Amino acid sequence: MTKKLTLWERLSQQFFAVPAVAQLWAKRTAQQTNQLVALVDGIPFARLRKPLAQCRVALLTTAGVHLHNQTPYNMENPDGDPTYREIPTDVALDQITITHKYYDHTDADVDLNVVFPLLHFRDLVEKQVIGSLAPRHFGFMGHIDQALINVLNQQTAPEVAAKLRADQVDFAFLTPA
Amino acid sequence: MGLIARSIEAAGVPTVTISLAKALTEAVGVPRAIFVRWPLGHPLGERQQPAQQRTMIFAALRLLLEAKQPGLIAEPGYRWKRETYTEPDWDQLIGE
Repeated sequence: MTKKLTLWERLSQQFFAVPAVAQLWAKRTAQQTNQLVALVDGIPFARLRKPLAQCRVALLTTAGVHLHNQTPYNMENPDGDPTYREIPTDVALDQITITHKYYDHTDADVDLNVVFPLLHFRDLVEKQVIGSLAPRHFGFMGHIDQALINVLNQQTAPEVAAKLRADQVDFAFLTPA
Repeated sequence: MGLIARSIEAAGVPTVTISLAKALTEAVGVPRAIFVRWPLGHPLGERQQPAQQRTMIFAALRLLLEAKQPGLIAEPGYRWKRETYTEPDWDQLIGE
């Protein structure tokens, strides 16, 4: 299913898997992001309105998670893919796969909880630590650059935010890759 | 990830975000983040280490409950593959 990576892509993944390299990359990307997106002043902040045990949670990840029967993320465009995929909450884990060539997902392929902790959250609902799971969760592919950042920012991310509201989600748990 | 968190929070839904890239999280201005200096692709930690993965979830939920201002980046300082984890005491979160 997963397309074979080139040697360069594999080496690049290994290079960026070193935390010190990743932090340097983060600094550079931070500067570029500042040039690409005009962030509104201030950081938005919403408050939790209920005790955790009554909250409904949705999971979001940029690890490239999607269902086998959904269109994979676009790996051909160097600027990435700002689209998202809906993951039904009651999905069987073997229906989920990862398409993302910009990080090494060998471990996440073996244990999805490394990037998308759906099983742990199902258990926390069972333990009544958290009230319930949203009917759907959302997968993105984290590599997004240039003009596509604006598509994410102005179109797909607000669209997902509206869906979370529609699903009466009380908080979202976000994992990068 | 940070831009998505901002969009969701701007729509009135609280978020908590795991960060593997501190400078990026700071620059974007993420509402609440928990940063670990771990290899990319491992926001919850190592594979088949449920206690470690659940410790990250616990720490993130704590931050969600306790953060009183936007832009906080919690740093639990967990070292990669050099910590011993135990199952978190979830009762601490119940009733909060």
